[in-house]
Formats: sequence, structure tokens, C-alpha cells
Amino acid sequence: MASNGHSNHVHGQEDQNHTNGSAVSHMPKKLKLSSPPSSPFITDSEIESEFSHHDPAVARLNNGAFGCCPASVISAQQQWHLKYLSQPDSFFFNHLQNGILQSRTIIKELVNAEHLDEISFVDNASTAATIVFQQVAWAFGEGKFQKGDVAIMLHYAYGAVKKSIEAYVVRSGGEIIQVHLPFPVSSDQEIITEFRRALERGKADGKRVRLAVIDHVTSMPSVVIPVKELVRICREENVEQVFVDAAHAIGCTHVDMKEIGADFYASNLHKWFFCPPSIAFLYCRRSPKSCDLHHPVVSHEYGKGLAKECSWIGTRDYSPQLIVPAVLRFVNRFEGGIEGIKKRNHDAVVEMGEMLAQAWGTHLGTPPHMCASLIMVGLPASLGITCDSDAIKLRTHLRDHFGIEVPIYYRTPRDGEVGSVTGYARISHQVYNKVDDYYKFRDAINQLVRDAFTCALLSD
Amino acid sequence: MASRNHGRNHKNDDNHLNGDSSFSHVPKKPKLGTFITDSEIQSEFAHHDPAVARINNGSFGCCPASVISAQQKWQLKNLRQPDHFYFNELRKGILHSRTLIREIINADQVDEISIVDNATTATAIVLQQTAWAFQEGKFQNGDVVVMLHYAYGSVKKSMEAYVTRAGGKVIEVQLPFPVNSNEEIISEFRRALERGRAGGSRVRLAVIDHVTSMPSVVIPVRDLVKICREEGVDQVFVDAAHAIGCIDVDVKEIGADFYTSNLHKWFFCPPSIAFLYSRKSPRCSELHHPVVSHEYGNGLAVESAWIGTRDYSSQLVVPEVLEFVSRFEGGIEGIKSRNHEAVVEMGRMLATAWGTHLGTPPDMCASMIMVGLPACLGISSDSDAMNLRAHLRDVFGVEVPIYYRPPKDGEIGVVTGYARISYQVYNRADDYYKFRDAINQLVRNKVTCALLSN
Repeated sequence: MASNGHSNHVHGQEDQNHTNGSAVSHMPKKLKLSSPPSSPFITDSEIESEFSHHDPAVARLNNGAFGCCPASVISAQQQWHLKYLSQPDSFFFNHLQNGILQSRTIIKELVNAEHLDEISFVDNASTAATIVFQQVAWAFGEGKFQKGDVAIMLHYAYGAVKKSIEAYVVRSGGEIIQVHLPFPVSSDQEIITEFRRALERGKADGKRVRLAVIDHVTSMPSVVIPVKELVRICREENVEQVFVDAAHAIGCTHVDMKEIGADFYASNLHKWFFCPPSIAFLYCRRSPKSCDLHHPVVSHEYGKGLAKECSWIGTRDYSPQLIVPAVLRFVNRFEGGIEGIKKRNHDAVVEMGEMLAQAWGTHLGTPPHMCASLIMVGLPASLGITCDSDAIKLRTHLRDHFGIEVPIYYRTPRDGEVGSVTGYARISHQVYNKVDDYYKFRDAINQLVRDAFTCALLSD
Repeated sequence: MASRNHGRNHKNDDNHLNGDSSFSHVPKKPKLGTFITDSEIQSEFAHHDPAVARINNGSFGCCPASVISAQQKWQLKNLRQPDHFYFNELRKGILHSRTLIREIINADQVDEISIVDNATTATAIVLQQTAWAFQEGKFQNGDVVVMLHYAYGSVKKSMEAYVTRAGGKVIEVQLPFPVNSNEEIISEFRRALERGRAGGSRVRLAVIDHVTSMPSVVIPVRDLVKICREEGVDQVFVDAAHAIGCIDVDVKEIGADFYTSNLHKWFFCPPSIAFLYSRKSPRCSELHHPVVSHEYGNGLAVESAWIGTRDYSSQLVVPEVLEFVSRFEGGIEGIKSRNHEAVVEMGRMLATAWGTHLGTPPDMCASMIMVGLPACLGISSDSDAMNLRAHLRDVFGVEVPIYYRPPKDGEIGVVTGYARISYQVYNRADDYYKFRDAINQLVRNKVTCALLSN
């Protein structure tokens, strides 16, 4: 158990409650190049202050869905916004492009991309997916791909991505093959095996696999996928394009473009990287393929490269794309910067997950090394979660009656399984979380169990 | 010259032509409530750079402080508890905005109204549908799409990206400028439609501006839509980026299949929000938002209301904007009318001062007008126009877009540059005097664009 976490249990309510705060770090103190040795790290009360706009009545265990944004970044964003409103023409001609360039440069460094042109900003991973898939649709339409050519995706791909594949790839003649993944899952090997199996199906009868869409961290259920391995396999098996949908990844797990080796990689900065809604980066490895990508909203910059196109898609509020420097300043107030935050989040979420699983007599959905700052925790079978809508209703019930925000996943039992765990909570840990949030959740579920509650009792 | 222009000597209420003082030509109704005062207007726009004569409302619009404040409240509401916001507040808020817009533009059903970021996005939605029609064999290679030569630059690019790329042929309607009557536009449009149908081609789509951008001219859209129907054009899309809050918008009367307008230009919304009206009809294939999300297939309005996590706050403040405009006498109608009168008056003042002319007659403009610049400035290219604009901004604190009009064969010493001046509630006569004086100074100092580019 991480030593940071331990002190949180013992000293209920004080500074030590924030596992990301300064007081209890047992990590070796590295000298951070980005903050002078004499400056203190952010304190717990400063963290509370940065997130004082969060509803205090809610145990916010769902950073994975909508992320969070500290007050100092909101303030920076408002300054940019007012700068624009004050004289928009001058902003457009003199400030906007520079501001976006600065933000892109920081991201390029952070994710270890080779060239700055490889980094474009879009609203979110859904937009990035559109960009990649629209290119595939044109390829079918223009005869570059043939009807029946295959695109592979994970069965646990995000719902919106599945719809996008339908809207662009299937509609233009592509065939989809889904990789079935086990859950609960125990090892990377299980995933790799299923992936190979799906690739074989894809290549059966001489079909070409034109695209593989691989999540870096799946959403529901949340599992860290061994992307580096899977990309390597794709290269071996001549998959033409690999797109990693890493909606959660930046600020949550290890992100290195050169190491991962995908053609396209997209991650939201508003989930785990403290940006306001919304901003994501889409990485496109420099290659002849990358010229074909276009933002679907076409404006003056069409044809000048994706990054340039994305930097102007008509009049709108670009301020979320301009605050990356302010975000970097924020994360560097933490010991170890974003790396320190990631590590402490991971340790804390595993600890809290184990605490809950023990308290409820259930188990974790993945081993610790297959999760980042989110983890799946089994819910007591007695709650009777028997379908997706039970899961949603239970989530609503927890929100409305207990002040707990946590997404619930329904896992279909396999043939022959009886009385197994069919519901998992996906808990997140971010710098603003306190152990009390998880105790509140623990106690709420225990109360429901005590009261012989089942989802069947919840009305539609 | 109307007495109100002497207001510049008085540091008082009279400078704001939309204020509640004695300027309005609209007959005064008995004052039951008070209308917004000039100093309240100043306060609402106190965030505008005071050193700048901001005569370019047409490009980026404006947003009053009370609406910015409402927007920030919505943003904080989301940040406070985003899950709750998503499940319980967002859709309601967007539906409310859509309902208000439906009423304003006289659409039949709220399903016909989708909210998108801007007219550029609306254009991508319509043209993407056209591209699919070509790709899926509904349209044939070589089928025609007609657009105005003065269509906005990004719309032209969108045509290239979707229509030309998918096999369509684009025909441009040449429009004269300066222009004197609707008839000139109507004739050119008919001519272009004929070219489109030559050799038995089908005209699948006509894209018609309601108010062109550069040069800015109010197009007789109702007439052109009627002609399209007579001539068997499959679909008509009106790009009315400027229209709402600037000119009358009645989508049933105009009769187009698709109609889009930005609310952040002339309707006081923050950046950015536009509506895309899509008439319920069998003629129209399904439109989709290009950014596909969970709601794919549930209709464009529902798709557009959720395109992934983002800040939807600018789409939620339409109610607060309506409150704002209702503080003005005559509401948005009063504002439109006074803006129009003021911009015509200021345009004439400038044309007289410079010895030039207006680019359109008053009835072919709304709240923007094109004013000829002295020929001696030597505006001889698009980049001259850009340089002059930058010079006016940097040296004189005047923000105004400049349009370069190539001389026709045989024309010598003509006006080749026009300023597109806008008038919105925050403007004052001083803004236009500042511009008048800046140009007069450049002329006096024999400044030419050739000198500026060095």
C-alpha cells in the first residue's frame, strides 16, 4: 500500500487527506528543473481552493468522464476570452495563431512527437475520430480502398467511436471486425491473443485490413490496453493505418508517440490534464498518409495541413486551446509535475479500489498494472444489476440520494455463471479527491445492501 | 445633416443612436418601463477596447457584459458538477434556445432548428450531405452546384472539399459591384442557372448568401429561391451568416431548404453559436453533424446538441440575449431599424467627406454598407487592402475591413477600394469621424498602398 495512502487513513481529516499534497510524500525528492528548489509545492489547502468550485456535497469519483479544471486555469481562460472580446480583429490577426502554436509546442514535447506539424488541436477525441474516419470514407469512395476491406476495433470501444465508424466506414463500404475482450481481465496476454484472433478473421479470404482502432485506456469497462504491443502486431500483419483512441491517456498513463508508433493518436486534455472543456490533441505521424486528413469544418485554411486547418474553423471560442501554458504552470506546482500526479493518482486509486473491494467482499476488475487512475470495483451481487439500464438507474440513485457521482458498468454474466458480480463501479482518483469520497461510497453501498436494496426496486 | 450628429461635441447621452434620447425616428411609445440608457449601453460594452473605433461588427460581432456574465454562470454550473449538468440541464437548455430561435425566424417546428458553432459548420453539414449523394450514386458526376461569386471564402473552400472532390461541378454567379438594383443580381443568377443546366446537367444545389460578406450586399433571396423552384433546382441553401439581428429573417417566407445564420454576429451571443434550419421535406436527405457521437441517427438537432465533451455555454444564453434586446425600444426590430438608418447616414457622411460613393443603394444594405475610398490611396490588390486595414488598426486605432474591387476593362482612376462599415448599438458618431479623419490625413500626406507595403 502506498505510503501516501496509509497516512490518509490514519489521519482522517487533515492535510494528509490529499494524497497529492506536499506533506506526506515518501517519494525521493527529485530536483525539478521547472520549479526553483526554494519554492514550496502546492499545499492541500491550495488544492482545495483551486477546486472550491466543485460541488462540496458530491463525492466526485468520476474524473474520467468530464475531467476537472482548476480555478487558476479557469481564470487564465477568462482572461484570454476577454482579450478576444475586447478587440477580436486584432486578436485574430495578432494573437490567436501564436497562442495556439505555444500550446502545441508544449504538447509536442510532452508526448514526444518528432515534429510540431504532427500535433493538431481539436475539440475532443470524438472530433479526432471523425477526422480519421472521414479520410477512410474518402479512400473507399475514391477507390483507394475496396468494398469489404476491413476495419478492426475493440468491442469495448467508446460508444461514440462505434457510431462514427458506422457513419463513415460502414457507410462507405468497409466491414467492421470487433475484438472481443474478456472482463474481468488478468493479463495483457489475454488481450493480445484476442487481438491476433481478430486480425486473422480480418485477413481471412484475402481481405485487406485497412485500419485498426485501438483504445489506449478503454472507457467502460476501464482497462489499460497494451497499445505498444498491439501496434507492433499491426505492423507485422500489414494493417495499413493504426489509430489509437487515447481519450483518457494524457495525464493518466504513459504517452510517448515515438514509442507507441501509431499513425494517429488522440487524447483529451480536459480529462486528466486540467484543461477546461474542451481540447484534445490529434497526433498524425508525418507520412504520405497524413496529408489526407482534413478537419470536417472547412474554412480558409483548407489544404494547408491539418494543424493549420484546425487552428481556424470559423469564429468560435478558441480559449481552451490557449491555456496549455497556464496548465503546465499548475501541474509544475506539484511534486514531480505531471509524472508525480499520475503516479500518486494510480497508487491512490488502487488503494481505494482495494479498500472498497474488501469492504464489499468483491474484487477488482483488473490487476493494478492494467489500470492507470481509474479502476473497476465489483459491486455486491445482491444489488441485482441485471442490465445496462439498471446500471444507469443505480448511478442516478447514488447521485440523487447519496451525493455520489460514479459510473456503473453492467457486465453480462457468461453462460453458467450464477450469483456472480455483474456490476462494477469505475472509480477515478484526481488531485482534488479525498479518502472521505471513497468512504462515502463504501458506506452508501453497504447501506443499500443492509436495506436489501435491489435495482428491481428502482422505477423506470 | 441630422442634428444628432452634432452630438459629438457633447459628452452626453446623444452619441448613442440606439439610446433613449431624441434620435430615434421610431414614434415614441409612452414610456411604461424605461429603456436602456446610453450609459448602460456603454457599461455593457465597457470591455471593448476604448482606443479602437470598432466599425467592424460584421466580422466578429459583439457580446454585452450581462450576457458574458450569464455565460460564465453556465460554465461554472457545468464545472461544478458536470455529470449532473449533462444528465439534467444541458439538453433542456439547448431545447429552450432552439425554441426561442424557432419563434424568431418563423420556422414551423423546433426539430427544424439545430444549433451549431457557426455558419462554416452549417455549410460543412449541408455539403457533406451533397458529397455522400455523389458518392452513393444519388447525384451523377458533373451535376452542378451553383454559388455566388461573392460567397464567403471558407464556403468556397468547403465546395472544393466536398462538392468538387465528390464529382460535382461548381458554377459561380458573377455579380456586379457596385450594384444598383436587385434586377442586376436576378439576371446574373438566371444566367448562371442556364449555364448550369446546359447539356442536360442537373442543378442539385444552389448556395445563396442572404447578405454577402465582401463586398456586403443584401441579396434578394426570396426571389432567387422562387427562381430555383421554377427551374427545378433540387435543394436551396441560404448562407445567411449575418442575417439574424441584421435583416428580416422569415424562413417560411424565404422558402429555402436549408438556412443558417450566426447569432454571435448581430444577435449579441458570445462566440460562438449559429442555427441551421432544415425544412422538413422529402426533398432533403438526412443531414448529420460531421462530428459523430452517441446521438447519431437521432436527427440533426439532437446530434448537434451533443458532439462530445465541450463547452456548450454559448448555446445556452439565448434567453438572456432576448432579455438584453428587450431593453431597447422596439426590441431587435428597433435595433435593426436604427442600425440601418445610422449606417446609411454614416456611410453618406463618409462618401461626401471623401468625394466617393456608396457601393449599394440604401435599400440593398442592412447594418453594414460599402463606402468607396479615395482612389489616390492606390488600392490595387487584395494585399493592398489588407495592408491598409492593418495600417488603420495599428496607426489610427480604426478597425474596418477593406475590399479590393478590380477595375473593369477600360476603367481608369476609379474607386478600387471600399470600406465595409458596420453599425451596432455600441457605436458612436465619433467612431466614423475618426475614420473619416484618418483617411483624410492619409490623403493629405499622399500615402499610397505602394508606400505601405515597403
